[in-house]
Amino acid sequence: MLRIALVGLLLTLPQEPAPVELHFLMWKPHQREAWTRALRDFENLHPRIRVRVEEGPHSSSELHAMLVTKLRARDPELDLFLIDVVWPAEFAAAGYLDPIDDLFSEEERKRFFPGPIEADTVDGRLVAAPFNVDAGLLYFRKDLVKAAPETWNQLAEQAAAITARHPDLFGYTGQFDRYEGLVCNLMELIRSNGGRMAPSLDERAEEAVAWARDRLIGPVAPRAVLNQRETESREIFLQGHAVFHRNWPETWKIANDPARSKVAGRVGLAPLPRFEGGRSVSTLGGWQLAIASHSPRRAEARALVRYLAGFDVQKRLTLETSHGPSLSAVMDDPDVLARFPHFAEMKRVFFAAEPRPRSPDYAELSDRLQQTLYAKLTGAEDGVAVLPALAPMAVLGLLVFYLSRGRRA
Amino acid sequence: MTRVAAVVLVACSVAPFAWFASASFKGPREIAQRRPTLVPLEPTLDGYRGAVDKGLAGWMLNSLIVATATTLVTLPLAAGAAYALSRTRMRGRRILLGLVLAASMFPQVTLAHTLYGMLQSVGLVNTRAGPVFPYVSLTLPLAIWILASFFREIPAELEEAARIDGAGPVRTLVRVFLPVAAPGVFTAAILTFIYAWNEFFFALVLLTGNDVRTLPPGIATMPGQYTFPWGEIAAACVLATAPLLAAVLLLQRRIVSGLTAGAVKQ
Amino acid sequence: MRKLGPWLAAPALVTLAVLAAVPIAGALWQSLFHETSREPARFVGLGNYVQLARDPEVRNSVLFTLQFVGTSVVLELVLGLAAALVLHAKFRGRGLVRAAVLVPWAIPTVVAAWIWRYVFDDYSGLMTYASDVSWFSDPFWARTIVIVADVWKTMPFTALLILAGLQTISDDVIDAARIDGAGPGRRFVHVTLPLLRPALLVALLFRTMDAFRVFDAVFVMTRGKSGTSVLQFLGYKALFDQGNYGKGAAISAVVFLLIATMTVFYVRSVPSRLMEADR
Repeated sequence: MLRIALVGLLLTLPQEPAPVELHFLMWKPHQREAWTRALRDFENLHPRIRVRVEEGPHSSSELHAMLVTKLRARDPELDLFLIDVVWPAEFAAAGYLDPIDDLFSEEERKRFFPGPIEADTVDGRLVAAPFNVDAGLLYFRKDLVKAAPETWNQLAEQAAAITARHPDLFGYTGQFDRYEGLVCNLMELIRSNGGRMAPSLDERAEEAVAWARDRLIGPVAPRAVLNQRETESREIFLQGHAVFHRNWPETWKIANDPARSKVAGRVGLAPLPRFEGGRSVSTLGGWQLAIASHSPRRAEARALVRYLAGFDVQKRLTLETSHGPSLSAVMDDPDVLARFPHFAEMKRVFFAAEPRPRSPDYAELSDRLQQTLYAKLTGAEDGVAVLPALAPMAVLGLLVFYLSRGRRA
Repeated sequence: MTRVAAVVLVACSVAPFAWFASASFKGPREIAQRRPTLVPLEPTLDGYRGAVDKGLAGWMLNSLIVATATTLVTLPLAAGAAYALSRTRMRGRRILLGLVLAASMFPQVTLAHTLYGMLQSVGLVNTRAGPVFPYVSLTLPLAIWILASFFREIPAELEEAARIDGAGPVRTLVRVFLPVAAPGVFTAAILTFIYAWNEFFFALVLLTGNDVRTLPPGIATMPGQYTFPWGEIAAACVLATAPLLAAVLLLQRRIVSGLTAGAVKQ
Repeated sequence: MRKLGPWLAAPALVTLAVLAAVPIAGALWQSLFHETSREPARFVGLGNYVQLARDPEVRNSVLFTLQFVGTSVVLELVLGLAAALVLHAKFRGRGLVRAAVLVPWAIPTVVAAWIWRYVFDDYSGLMTYASDVSWFSDPFWARTIVIVADVWKTMPFTALLILAGLQTISDDVIDAARIDGAGPGRRFVHVTLPLLRPALLVALLFRTMDAFRVFDAVFVMTRGKSGTSVLQFLGYKALFDQGNYGKGAAISAVVFLLIATMTVFYVRSVPSRLMEADR
């Protein structure tokens, strides 16, 4: 009797609810240990939640393809994921994102850099939380360049003077291959001339592009930049073969790493130049935290979003991985500034960073922009003249015709 | 004269691949120096290590699974159809053969969207089973054609003898036909396998996760946001091709005779 | 066994019907709607096609695809014929030559594309010794390299098909011509070539259909830049990169119709007598 009562008592005691497994899809982190620690700490704070990280592909377009596949299929193993700063409009329009207006008050939103918040707000609703910030920066050889140029023309002049003394150097390298990076690089040139890129290039934009085509690529930057992306263009600078270089913030650490860079310790950092009468513009990059609208674990995912976008984690990740934080206060923090004194300069750039044109059809928009810009820069129209195109087919047709008539020998 | 032409032929066929293979043993610095050395000055296995790190072993395994599955499905289907088309007086054979051949010409992109939707509705997108479906439909025509031309060569007496012996239709197919048409079966199998191994479009579209990807999309998307690792790409390419090359070189005679026997008859 | 015919063929035919015919029909149907990953389907009839006709990118893609097909196939045929003649000749080490020639054929197309991209890479490529030209940013060179890569990869297949044809020509016929006093050139043009017609036509047919579907090389080497966009790539971009299902379906329908037209052209212009030769 007593035994039955005891068993009955045990059965009625509240059971530990099963742990919730949150599936977080992110790109492969450079410093996995820092991430693992941060996530373990989250799990300790929320004992009911376990975080399973899936590492996605290391390229933005691949990650996009994978996310779309999973979201279209309403994959049950996807709760939280990272999206690029140009995707919120598209993903929100497709209904993939769970709005998180309730997660951050107006006050709290002001603590983030304004650019990412603007990118993450679609139709008045906040659909993602800024996780990190990237912006275009000008790197230069501080042993060769006395003062960073303020205007693009000054950059060209300084580069000419320096390469005259050092003929083995190139003046400038940037990313001008036909891909998203082209839009980023040219946006910085166009917007710093007060021009507009979408829905079509206006006069000032054409001016800036013409300047790049005639005065930058060829005279200052090698024509090879037309086939280069971040890695190749940076490599030239790291090998000590370039005076100026445009790239994202993570290049700072690489350029000053003696194991990877021949110019470690001789690298300067400045905002990008502008055209006369304009202002310096950096293209905004960076990743946002988003919650899948179909996920049954949205409440738990929100907890992780607040955690990862919170001051403590942002500061930790910044210190441990030199990540560009999305909270401006982190860049004012004394510990952070002690470690990264150049953050003072970078913070100004982050504040001024501008997002690319927003559209739910961004992929198409960007593709057309790339097409137009690349054609203008290379000076080669992609057009195929009709005659050379159809001539081989005519030959083929004649061949078939000739072979099929006639008798056997 | 033929000798010279043969040498040129061999050189053109092999040199580009050899050049790329040598890059797989070079480190980034040596590659950046672009010296035209076939034998690396500072050989290194970093390329191979990097490729494996990106998931090469998984890709190879996935390719093996998908290609094998495709071959195992295609061959029996093709054998049945080939027999029907070449040994029976079935009506509409010509039209059927025409339709089958037509199927081999369908562009992948035209099939892609609907096929993706069909596979998604049964949860097979991003799984190893997914690509097998389009692969079977793309390899069936060639397999049927090869098997049909081999089956055609088999004398009717063999079939008669089996029937007189009391063998049923399936037994005849398996015990009499297949052994005699073995070279054709072999050729069809190897061509199907190679096709599935090398296929890129559907693999790219249907397999987005690194854990299920086959070799072609894995290799094609190796350059990442911040890296362009030629050494690793070259290493991955060498490893991706090695099994096929070995098979082709060893079985060169079989493949050539299989293709040529099936192609044109006098 | 006779009666079983249809039953034995049925599984294969059903498979093809479901996995090939249905999706094609699906694409044609989908092409009549405007639908993206962000917007629901909306019937537009031939609207997508009208937009394609007005789009310069599509026009250039169609033109380059046609240019690619014509150039590649003709080159492969000519070079394949030459290679087949070499492979047919009797000399020591023929097996080795055959094996070597099969190397490009055995390689996955993406690998072949990487190889040629590497050779012409601006930074690490071999061709940097030849010239400072930025190969892939110049439409003429970019297109040429794409064609070269394709011809290199598929020529062995054409050579094999033609070799098959050569092997069926009995030596007696050639000898008869020689006895009649015909030199090697005349022998080739008046005896060999006509007998090779079926093989050449088969090679042409298969290669043309395949060339229209070029995708791998463009994806790996250029992602369609510098005027190397081909139709399958354009369709892929619309469907899977940009999530524009209606436009993508319309492009894919255009590819299909082009190939179908080519097939009809081939079938019409080749007398059935010649097609009989391969039965």
